[in-house]
Amino acid sequence: MDLLAQILVNGVLQGGLYAVMALGLALVWGVLNIVNLAHGAFIMLGGYASWYLYTYLHIDPFLGLPLTAVVMFALGYGIQRGLLNLVIRAPMFNTLLITFGLEVVLTYLAQLVFSADFRTINPPYAGSSLALGPLVLPVARMAAFAVAIFLTVGMWLFLLHTRLGRAIRATAQNLVAARLYGVEPRHLYAMTFGLGIALAGMAGTLYGTVSQINPYIGASLTAKSFAIAIIGGLENPLGVLVGGLFLGIVESLTTLYIGQTYADVASFGILVLVLIVRPGGLLGRTT
Amino acid sequence: MKTWKIGLVLAALAVLAGVPWYGSDVLVQFGINALLLAVLAQGWNIIGGYTGYASFGNSVFYGLGGYGVAIAMVQWQLPFAVGMGFGVVLAVVFAVLLGIPVLRLKGHYFAIATLALSQVMTAIVSNVGIAGQNIGLVLPPLNNDPLFYELSLGLLTIATLTIWGMTRSRFGFGLIAIRENEEGAAVMGVNTTLYKVMAFALSGIFSALAGGIHAYWVTFLDPASAFDISLNVKMIIMAVFGGPGTVLGPIVGALTLSTISEFLSSEVTSIAGLFFGLVIVVAVVLMPRGLADMLRRMRKMGWGYFIENIRAHRL
Amino acid sequence: MKALLEVRNATRSFAGLVAVDSVSFTLAPGEILGLIGPNGAGKTTLISLISGTQAPSAGEILFQGESINHMPAFRRARLGIGRTFQIMRPFPGLSVLDNVAVGALFGRGGGQPKLAVAREHARECLEFVGLGKIIEKRADELGGPDRKRLELAKALAMQPQVLLCDEVMAGLNHAEIDEVIDVIRKVRDRGISILVTEHVIKAIKSLSDRLLVLHHGEKIAEGTPDAVLADPVVIEAYLGKKRA
Repeated sequence: MDLLAQILVNGVLQGGLYAVMALGLALVWGVLNIVNLAHGAFIMLGGYASWYLYTYLHIDPFLGLPLTAVVMFALGYGIQRGLLNLVIRAPMFNTLLITFGLEVVLTYLAQLVFSADFRTINPPYAGSSLALGPLVLPVARMAAFAVAIFLTVGMWLFLLHTRLGRAIRATAQNLVAARLYGVEPRHLYAMTFGLGIALAGMAGTLYGTVSQINPYIGASLTAKSFAIAIIGGLENPLGVLVGGLFLGIVESLTTLYIGQTYADVASFGILVLVLIVRPGGLLGRTT
Repeated sequence: MKTWKIGLVLAALAVLAGVPWYGSDVLVQFGINALLLAVLAQGWNIIGGYTGYASFGNSVFYGLGGYGVAIAMVQWQLPFAVGMGFGVVLAVVFAVLLGIPVLRLKGHYFAIATLALSQVMTAIVSNVGIAGQNIGLVLPPLNNDPLFYELSLGLLTIATLTIWGMTRSRFGFGLIAIRENEEGAAVMGVNTTLYKVMAFALSGIFSALAGGIHAYWVTFLDPASAFDISLNVKMIIMAVFGGPGTVLGPIVGALTLSTISEFLSSEVTSIAGLFFGLVIVVAVVLMPRGLADMLRRMRKMGWGYFIENIRAHRL
Repeated sequence: MKALLEVRNATRSFAGLVAVDSVSFTLAPGEILGLIGPNGAGKTTLISLISGTQAPSAGEILFQGESINHMPAFRRARLGIGRTFQIMRPFPGLSVLDNVAVGALFGRGGGQPKLAVAREHARECLEFVGLGKIIEKRADELGGPDRKRLELAKALAMQPQVLLCDEVMAGLNHAEIDEVIDVIRKVRDRGISILVTEHVIKAIKSLSDRLLVLHHGEKIAEGTPDAVLADPVVIEAYLGKKRA
């Protein structure tokens, strides 16, 4: 019983991180109608950014989050404005391919610049954990979870209550709506993509504090983010949060009861099932 | 097709077929790889290029073909040809069982569902005893590269002839109609579900055969290499680079890109990968409909062709 | 005369909104039935229910006395039900000829397996609708009126028994409308039953043997054109709202 409780706690903690990973992907997909296959690569870059900040400048990964976010936002803004904007009206397959190309470029650039070695961000509290009765709560994971919840709820409030947020939501329905909010569509698209990449970067930071990073983690993180976005739907960050928690718990349970190697089968199997049964997402609108 | 075009194709085929006689061992080995990739690109061309369903899961067929051969030869001591047949059966079963639900999905959803399926297959096969779990299987070696080369070339020829025949048949017209407008095809009497599944299966058969040849040639198979996800992307890039939905485009794309990346990878491996990514990005921006379309239209439009493409798709 | 097509209490609702509400009618062999009603009256939905691109929430569609409710669209096409789309949907990348050839390759009875024969048949259909001179053009290069004709030719190439025409006259000028009316009459002379939807009344009045009026998804009148257009219910609901 304790074991099950511990597994559930692990799943929930992991799920929060998953939610932040998927948040940016869902945002970009919902608004720009681009499924960004390079999303995982941006998560990877965010991880490295924090690793460098910590290793060379001794900036704590959690304190360095805003810095990572700003850098990644600028990168995302530039890529949308300078590159993706050139193909934004092309058939979906082309946008899918170009982001894939981007994924390959980023991965190999990372391999050249960062080397293929595994990196871990190791702040002093990395190994410590709190005990709550029989449960073990690792400090870094708890912090990552807290930040994840903060970011998700923050994103939700931002979309609901700020002018830019409302413009972004309106644009998801109809591009012309951007103009009604006095925002130039290209700028709005770039802002949205920048936000998505900033979220990916921060997810990378969190990921780096609890797991190892290397240049090749991107592809599977993209796939996971996609699964979560599908489960949670594209409309609402809170839906994505639920999707993340769901996947985290399912993976933990699969690992416990069936075996580590089946964790991916479970998550991608669920993804395929959800796609077939409810293509709008488990929590998304029915179509 | 005009007579001179047929002559040109036959001449190219003769030059390719002669490589084991006048080429070096390295060239033959490169050729086997490039030809098998071209088969994959052609296989993808059927479902992606002609039917309009961007499958990111064709590596599953390739892996199943490889495992068909490996299991038949290693576990059951059967001949290679039987293994190829077994691989084809596995691919067709997969195409039918999973194709029926997955081919109902459109656009991104189909692409990602197939991508997820290829991930699931890797994990499942890693747990199957008869497939050697995640350790893999070692096949009996056959040191006869010229044979593998001619097999690959033969397979590519058959795949291409199949596609050529398809483009002038009711089946091919049905597929193109589905690609262009699926609902419109259905109300004109095209059995869209059946046709899509058939296209998926046909595409799977060629990919499985390529996987079978490759497995026997490299004499080793494990889940990671058999279901290599980057292979999906390679075949798509090659088909799209050459011209999806054309008979020869994917071959041209596969041979061109293989050659360039071979030259680069002899320098620095990571540069070759980087180059691949850059080619994708640049190709999607400048020539979104592939080499074939570019060659056709550049004659009329010159450099304006590229500007026109960007203008048509930017915001 | 026995009905070729019969619609019984066909109903279709989308998320609580009833687009077609218990509509019944029959279509006799060789008849032209006009289906009129303001935009949003449910005309296109009704055609989709018959052609099988949408399933009815309730009610029944019968073809030659047999229910085709559970038949997918392609089977209905093979039975001989052809349709055109209001929002024209050619196969954009194919030539005009090959667009129509698809209809001949599939279509009624499963179609014609030989490509050369199908193209020959397609050429005849294109001559018939007046597109005989531009068969090599790509379909997406056609202008509006030619696209309407292409839609007709595609459906005709299927050799249908019933032709469902969804607003084939919308957006055409007077001369073009007259041409289309002429083509539809000639189609009927071949023994094909036709259901035509239209919201421009003048065009359809002279063409139809009978008229059926939809309003908010319900059938509010049915009969000869003169009788229907004189019906006060129709005038109030459809024609004369601003006068009332």
